[in-house]
Amino acid sequence: MAKITLEHITKTFGKKTALKDVSLCVEDGEFLVLFGPAGAGKTTLLNMIAGIDDPDSGNIWFDDTPMNFVEPSNRDVAMVFENYALYPQMPVYDNIASPLRSRKHRTDEAGIRKEVERVAAITGMSEYLERRPSQLSNGQRQRVALCRALVRNPNVFLLDEPIAHLDAKLRNAMRKELKLMQKNLDCTSIYVTHDFTEAMSLGDRIAVIRDGEILQVGTNEEVYYRPAWEFVARLFGECEINMIPARIEKRNGRLWAVTRWEGVEFPVPVDVERSLGDVAEVDLGCRTPALAFSREPAAGYVRGSVYSVEPLGNKTELIVDVQGDLIRFIIPVDTKFGIDETVYIGLNPEHIIFFDQKTEAFLACHGEETGTEV
Amino acid sequence: MIKADTNTVLPNIPLRKKPWRLRIRPYLILLPSMAVLLGILYPFITAIYYSFTDISFRSTTYKFIGLGNWLGMFTSADFWHAILVTLEYSLSVIVLEMVIGMILALLLNNDKWYSKVLNVVLIFPLMVAPVIGCLIWSLMTNNTFGLMEKFLNIFGVYGFPWGASSQTALLYVIMIDVWINTPFVLLLLRAGLQGLPKSPFEAAKIDGGSAWFNFRRLTLPLLKPVIMIALIFRSVAALQEFAIIYSTTKGGPGNTLTNLSLLAYQTAFPYSNLSKGIPMIMVLWIIINFASKRMVGVYNQTRQS
Amino acid sequence: MEQKKISEKAVWAVGKVFLVFFVIFSVSPIIWTVIISFKGDNEIFNTFLRFTPTLENYTAVLTTGNYVKAFMDNLIICIGAVAVSVLVGVPAAYALARYQFRKKEDVAFTILSFKFAPEILVVIPLYKIFMSLHLYDTYFGMIWIYQFIGMPLLIWIVRSYFEDIPVEMEKAAELDGYSWFEIFFKMLLPLVRPGLVASALLAFIYCWNSFTFGLMLCSFNVQPITVAALTYIGSDTFHYGQIAVAAIIAIVPEIILCLCIQKHLVRGLSFGAVKG
Repeated sequence: MAKITLEHITKTFGKKTALKDVSLCVEDGEFLVLFGPAGAGKTTLLNMIAGIDDPDSGNIWFDDTPMNFVEPSNRDVAMVFENYALYPQMPVYDNIASPLRSRKHRTDEAGIRKEVERVAAITGMSEYLERRPSQLSNGQRQRVALCRALVRNPNVFLLDEPIAHLDAKLRNAMRKELKLMQKNLDCTSIYVTHDFTEAMSLGDRIAVIRDGEILQVGTNEEVYYRPAWEFVARLFGECEINMIPARIEKRNGRLWAVTRWEGVEFPVPVDVERSLGDVAEVDLGCRTPALAFSREPAAGYVRGSVYSVEPLGNKTELIVDVQGDLIRFIIPVDTKFGIDETVYIGLNPEHIIFFDQKTEAFLACHGEETGTEV
Repeated sequence: MIKADTNTVLPNIPLRKKPWRLRIRPYLILLPSMAVLLGILYPFITAIYYSFTDISFRSTTYKFIGLGNWLGMFTSADFWHAILVTLEYSLSVIVLEMVIGMILALLLNNDKWYSKVLNVVLIFPLMVAPVIGCLIWSLMTNNTFGLMEKFLNIFGVYGFPWGASSQTALLYVIMIDVWINTPFVLLLLRAGLQGLPKSPFEAAKIDGGSAWFNFRRLTLPLLKPVIMIALIFRSVAALQEFAIIYSTTKGGPGNTLTNLSLLAYQTAFPYSNLSKGIPMIMVLWIIINFASKRMVGVYNQTRQS
Repeated sequence: MEQKKISEKAVWAVGKVFLVFFVIFSVSPIIWTVIISFKGDNEIFNTFLRFTPTLENYTAVLTTGNYVKAFMDNLIICIGAVAVSVLVGVPAAYALARYQFRKKEDVAFTILSFKFAPEILVVIPLYKIFMSLHLYDTYFGMIWIYQFIGMPLLIWIVRSYFEDIPVEMEKAAELDGYSWFEIFFKMLLPLVRPGLVASALLAFIYCWNSFTFGLMLCSFNVQPITVAALTYIGSDTFHYGQIAVAAIIAIVPEIILCLCIQKHLVRGLSFGAVKG
């Protein structure tokens, strides 16, 4: 168990900057999800913590011990690699047993057998122990890699997309299993993923990373309801958040948000007004609750036509073309729309997240000061 | 904006630098091989120095004479003749081997039984030492019992001179070189052909282009990296060919086949003018370096695109 | 359309004929040599394919003269050179495959350029050096110089095999708690073994075939088989059968080795650039 602190970590590969001045603190026993698109530097960051790669500048601490340039074998870190990194010349059993046979974690063969069988049972790999990695499917290889990390009790547990290659059903099961395991193990874990459901369901906190920079660290409520950047807002949610550009105008002592759609304008909620400052151009971040629709024309609503209807099981994603802008939101599954059908769209100001259009940074949203959910 | 929290108090330990032990490890691992290779590099550099002296086997002392050897070389007719022979020889064998190798690779680019057998059998000449190859061909072209003689007799040709006549000597050594080294080209190109992606060819099949069109527009460009590799290795070897020419005709008759390698050898060894031989071989080395650098450049280009 | 089909078929037919001719051209010399090696001195001139096989050429070459000695000399030199190549070359190949350090590609290319340099350029000064160090005509000297043939080849091929192993596997082993030496010997070496064996055998073949060094850097004590064989070409012997035997003895080890590494041959011959 250890608390991990990263101070101003920078890493470049040739001309490409992989990590830019990254500072991050993972509490003892915490389960942190590192979330971001491909090529954001997630794996590089894990490699720094594991000691596989060393930062160009910056410090890494495990509790009060500086870890820079400490060899991986001396860090007591277990890691699941994205490409599995199994030993092709050994059967599954020996792959999983490998950590327990090293000089550092030497265990007697009986103990090894017990441990290997335990983790193999958790991951459903018990029948495959005699096979070689080349005889396994990708999902099975991934589980072997997971087993190899689980078989000992490390200080720090690093998981690089550990269940990305499993099929959907198994992934759900493994996600539950991992969560349970993490509670029992009580060891500091960092989990890399690009799947937002995984990020939301697993982490105590989520760190969002893009282009080698950490954009936001927060609980899943924080990153979802109060995203620090438009980019973060776009990453979360099963249907992408809509960004509707608007002008802020002063009318009779109140601030009004005026969209470019004729007639769609509203007074900014009072508590938001204070946070807006003198920003004139904003983006209105609208998820489904911030949008209203109607089949009949109404005041403050704008006319659009249905662009596509995509059933998502128990609900439906509707994409509406409003004067060239595509607006997407979720509707109940029993509400039926046909393609090109006319629909009127309105906004619910209390649920809108305001972003600065120029910097794309979070400005305000209704209810944030009182702490109530948006 | 929310910043990552790092306001925890940490002991004030200065930033650790990469330990010396880790930094020198790669060099340490390379050291033994470098040491052994330096054993080669040292004479290499000595050779350059020798080319500016009058060193020979006849006396144990020598002195610095500047560019004398170099100037002497550039004004000697033998040297220019040797350059001509070198280019003539290497150009002939490279073109022949690349073309024949390509044709054979195309013919054997399938999984039929004869392709599998020939893929093994045709390699044998490549494994034979050039000197032994020449030994075998001296038996083949023997004017009384050689198989080649018997073959030519069918066409009414008797006592073909092969290496003994200046008219046919070049043909003879080229034939031996082709016999030994065409399998090299064949092997590489066949492997290259087998490794080509299938989908462009399937698309071409649907488009219905002629075989020749497909070969020029698809096979050749896709195969270019492998062709370059074969070309580099063959050129480097052909430009400095020594064993085949030496063991068949020793550069003769006269100086018909005296290429740069042989001229340098003859100058340095039988005639004991060590220092005069070195510039010649250095010219050869420069030619080879120039040619191989150019081709490696093309190779890297095709691989990236 | 029909015409095109016919012309393409004709080209293929011509190609097949060409193939047959080349195969005869390629294979017949070796077969011819084998046949001659079993012919007595008289029968070489007056028989073609029908003759009474005899082993007298083999007994003559194997019992008299120094050809057997040359064979053994060649074996000692080549095995020595390959052994040293493997011992120092494999770690070098690893370093070039795995570590990022300054001038890495330059070092790698310098190693390769040894293969490209004309052998004679090195031989001339080496002759002087060998004379003064009393290495001329010794096993040690020959093994040293045969490095020049084997090492660059071995380093480049084994490097390409190391590069095939994902770095993560090695790092996973480190995280498992293994030291660098344990990883190298227990995990990596078994994985590159096919490539290592192939390149070592190929280096052996190249050493075995080498001629220039042997011609100039040794004389009577140590003699590579290629140099010994040369004496047969020059001599005015009528024992052509013995020449054939000499050629066959020199070829046999190579054919056997070549068959052993057949699968890795393309990759080896191209220094790891073309993966067969």
